[in-house]
Amino acid sequence: MQQAGASGSDTEVTWEDQQNINKFGRLNNRFHELEDEIKMAKETNDNLEVASNEVILTDDDIVRFQIGEVFAHVPKEEVESRIEEMQEGTSKILEKLEEEKESIIVEMAELKKILYGKFKDSINLEED
Amino acid sequence: MASSSSSSAAESEGGKVTERRGIPAAAFVEDVQTYLSQSDLDANSALAFFQERLQQYRVVEMKLLAQQRDLQAKIPDIEKCLDIVATLQAKKDIGEALLADFEMSEGIYSRARIEDTDSVCLWLGANVMLEYSCEEAITLLQKNLENAKSSLEVLVADLQFLRDQVTITQVTIARVYNWDVYQRRTRQAVAASES
Repeated sequence: MQQAGASGSDTEVTWEDQQNINKFGRLNNRFHELEDEIKMAKETNDNLEVASNEVILTDDDIVRFQIGEVFAHVPKEEVESRIEEMQEGTSKILEKLEEEKESIIVEMAELKKILYGKFKDSINLEED
Repeated sequence: MASSSSSSAAESEGGKVTERRGIPAAAFVEDVQTYLSQSDLDANSALAFFQERLQQYRVVEMKLLAQQRDLQAKIPDIEKCLDIVATLQAKKDIGEALLADFEMSEGIYSRARIEDTDSVCLWLGANVMLEYSCEEAITLLQKNLENAKSSLEVLVADLQFLRDQVTITQVTIARVYNWDVYQRRTRQAVAASES
């Protein structure tokens, strides 16, 4: 985890600096959360892809589709459209997450510049 | 001196939050020297105090994280329930029965034929299950879903506030420690030059 630690004794830490450090910490936390969420969303997408392929290949007219805790007998076409809907949903979520991740990376780079500029060696903002 | 306090956060005149839902805010130290003389503490006692504060924050953080995990598990569950009730309603509208395979016991499944259903039973917790009409069930489930989502939002905000306080405390500890080291060095240098 990135830590903000000041080891110099000459540079004073103002409230604004503290707020920048806090913001950096928050962004970093959110960044790691996003990475996990993106990983899960990608997995769900892959699973849906595999499921969709299986459904296309199957000969049965009825597919057991999981709704809640039970497997309902659903006609093949309905299953295909349901899976497609779910795939669209997850793709949109994935896109939004990636966008948020990009903007966080940019913001964190900005803050790094500001904080390193003021504190130079006295602060460490890298992952260990 | 105007101070406004809402039910979740209390603000001082500087606009800085002094506490949030029972979590005390870490006071920002403008100048280490002033802070130590004002509070009449030496560096070590101040450090001990801050370390203890940090521990308390960690305890609260663990609690909040556990609550967050619970809520994050609850939300998909409620969404699954809504899904099923919607499916039952859809089947009822076209007049078909729903065939479903369900788990009777681990690894053992059985087939069920669910005919025209006007009502569902909802598990309310505490060994209580109530029968609702499909519409009522959907209303109740959606209300639960919204409550869960807004609780989660508040929780996430609490966690962010808490983490900020932890960061402030860590930085303050570092500054007090550095100030102390600097003081010792200066005193040693003065003592060395006098002898």
